[in-house]
Amino acid sequence: MQAPEAARFRTAPYPTTLKPYGQALTKLAEERPDVLCVTGDLTRQCEIDLFQDRFPDRFIHAGMAEANMMSMAGTLARSGFTPFVHTFGVFATRRPYDQIANAIAYPNLPVKIIGFMPGLSTPGGPSHQAIDDVALMRVLPNMTVIDVADAVEVAQVVPAIADIDGPVYVRLKRGEIPVIFPEAHELSLTKAQTLVEGDDVAIFASGMMLAAALGAAKALAEAGVAASVVNVPVIKPLDRDGVLAAAGQAAAVVSAENHSIIGGLGSAVAEVLAEAGLGRPMRRVGVADTFGEGSLNAPYLFEKYGLGTQALIDAAWSAMGRGDNPPQAPVAPAATGEYAPV
Amino acid sequence: MNIDLESPVRRQPPADIDPRRLAAQIRLEATRMVAPQGFGYLGQALSSAEQVAAVFADLDWNRDRFICSPGHYIIAPYAAAGALGLLTREQLDSYGKNGSPLEAIGTESSPIVDYTCGSLGQGLSAAAGFALADKLRGGHAGRVYALISDGELEEGQTWEAAIFAAHHGLDRLIVILDANDSQVDGPISSITTLEPMRQKWESFGWHVADIDGHDVDTVVAALHEADSERCKPSVLICRTSTVHGLDCLPEDADGHFIKLPPQLAAAAEAELTRTLETL
Repeated sequence: MQAPEAARFRTAPYPTTLKPYGQALTKLAEERPDVLCVTGDLTRQCEIDLFQDRFPDRFIHAGMAEANMMSMAGTLARSGFTPFVHTFGVFATRRPYDQIANAIAYPNLPVKIIGFMPGLSTPGGPSHQAIDDVALMRVLPNMTVIDVADAVEVAQVVPAIADIDGPVYVRLKRGEIPVIFPEAHELSLTKAQTLVEGDDVAIFASGMMLAAALGAAKALAEAGVAASVVNVPVIKPLDRDGVLAAAGQAAAVVSAENHSIIGGLGSAVAEVLAEAGLGRPMRRVGVADTFGEGSLNAPYLFEKYGLGTQALIDAAWSAMGRGDNPPQAPVAPAATGEYAPV
Repeated sequence: MNIDLESPVRRQPPADIDPRRLAAQIRLEATRMVAPQGFGYLGQALSSAEQVAAVFADLDWNRDRFICSPGHYIIAPYAAAGALGLLTREQLDSYGKNGSPLEAIGTESSPIVDYTCGSLGQGLSAAAGFALADKLRGGHAGRVYALISDGELEEGQTWEAAIFAAHHGLDRLIVILDANDSQVDGPISSITTLEPMRQKWESFGWHVADIDGHDVDTVVAALHEADSERCKPSVLICRTSTVHGLDCLPEDADGHFIKLPPQLAAAAEAELTRTLETL
C-alpha cells in the first residue's frame, strides 16, 4: 500500500540542508570500525572534513593520485576494510577507469566510490563536469550505480551501500542539498518509486532532476495532462519490473538526468522498454551529447543545456505528439546557495 | 578441463628451500609450460628466476603476501610452486589452456599469488594497500613482497605508489624490480630512459639495493637487508637478462615472447635438466 501522494514528497520550494553526506558517513563510522575514508585532495569539498576531525586514524590522504588511490582501495577492501573513496565525479571515473575495472569491479570488492559534483551542478567547466560518470560506471560488471535526489536519501544511502557486498558508485551534489522527501521516506535500492500517478506520460528521474520532474508534472497537470513521476535513484541494477509497470500505464515516456543522454538513466530505461517490446514514444532529457562550459553558476547551465522544468514539459509534450504549444513552467527564483567551481 | 583450485592456495612449502636449485627448477618448469604452445612468457621466468626463488625461500605463506604485478610473469611463481609441490604436474600442464585457472596472464582466479594484474603498473599500489592495511591494524608482522618490472616504471601510477609508500613509511613493503631491459617494442633503454633508477628510487625516499639479479646469494642477502629496514620501503633493482641460464636460445631471441619450436624446446629441456643435475 503506497502512501497518499501528499505524504510522498514535500511541496516546493524545498528547504535545504548542509553537508548531509559528511554527517552520514561520520555516523556510519561510529558504528562500523571497518569504514575507511579516503580522499584525493578534496576533503572539505567532499564534506569529509567532519570524518577527518572525528576519526583521523581511519582517514587516508591519497593525494592527487587517483590511479594509486583506486588500486589501494581495492587491497584495503581485500584486507577487510570498507573504503569510501572521495573525489569529484570526473576524477573518480575518467582518470582511474582501468584501475576501477581491474582492481575493484572485476574482483567485486566492497569499495564505495563517491563522485561529487555530478553533471552540470558545477560551473567549473568540462574538466569538472561529470556528464559521463554514470555511463562509465554502469558498463562495469558488478558495479552498483546510484544518483539520489535529496538530503533524506543522501543520509540513507550511506549505510545502505555499506551493506552491499560489492563496488558502488554514488554521484552526489555537494554542499546545500534540497529536502524533497519527508523524514519517513525510505530509500529503496531495489524499487523505483512512483511519486505521482498519471496515465498520459511517465517521467523517470534521477538525482537533481527529480525536483524538475515534480515541477513539470504539476505544470502539466494544470494543463490537463496526467504525468506520473518515478524516482529512480538506482540506475544499476535498474528496477526493470518497476520501469515496465510505470511505462506500461502511460502513453509516452520521458527520462530526466543530469548527465549525458547517452549511457545513463535514459539509455537504461530505453533498453528495458525495447527488450520487453513495450513501444512508447520516448524523449531523453539530459546533456544532449555535448560538453558543457564554465560559467558563474549552475542554474545558468541547467537552463542553457535544457535540464530545467520547461525542458521536461517540452519533452513530454513532444513525446505525446502534441502539436500545440506546451504549457509554460512558472518562473521559479533561481536556486540560491553555494556553487563554487572547486 | 576442470581443476579445483581455491585462490590463493595457502600451503606451507617445504621448510628448507635452496634458492639456487629452485631458480634452475623455475627455468626448467617454465620451459615445459610454454613448450606445448611453442611460444610464451619464458623470458620473464628466465630473468626473474633467482628473484622468485629467493622470495619463495623466504616467504612465510601464513603471514607474508606476494604480489606478482606484471600478470604475464605469473609463469615464474607457477613454475616455482610446481617445483615445490604446491601445484601438481597436471595443473602446470594446464597452463594457458582453455578453461584452466592457470591463465597465461594472471587473473583473479590465479592461485599461488596474492595479487596480480594483467593491466601493468598497478601492482605497487596494490602492495601499498596491503601494507597500509596491516599498518592501520597496528600490526607489522607480515611482509609484502611485490615483484614488478622495469617496463612498469613507464606507468605514472608506479610513482604515485612510490610517493605514497615512502610518505607512510611502509617498511614492510619490499619491491623486487626485475630490470631486464625488455618490453614489447624492444629494449626499454631504446624506448625511454629509466636511468638512473637507483637515484630515482632513493630520491623518492626508498631503501635501494642495485644488484646482479642472477646472483642468487646477492638477491637473498639484499632481501634480508630489506627485511631489517625500519622506516622506509625497500626496492631491489635486479639487473637481469631475459635469456639468462638458457644457452641454446638464439642470439636474437625476443625476450618478451620467446619462440620455442619443438626441437628448441627439447634442447632447452635437456640443457636445463643437465644444469639442475650439476647443483
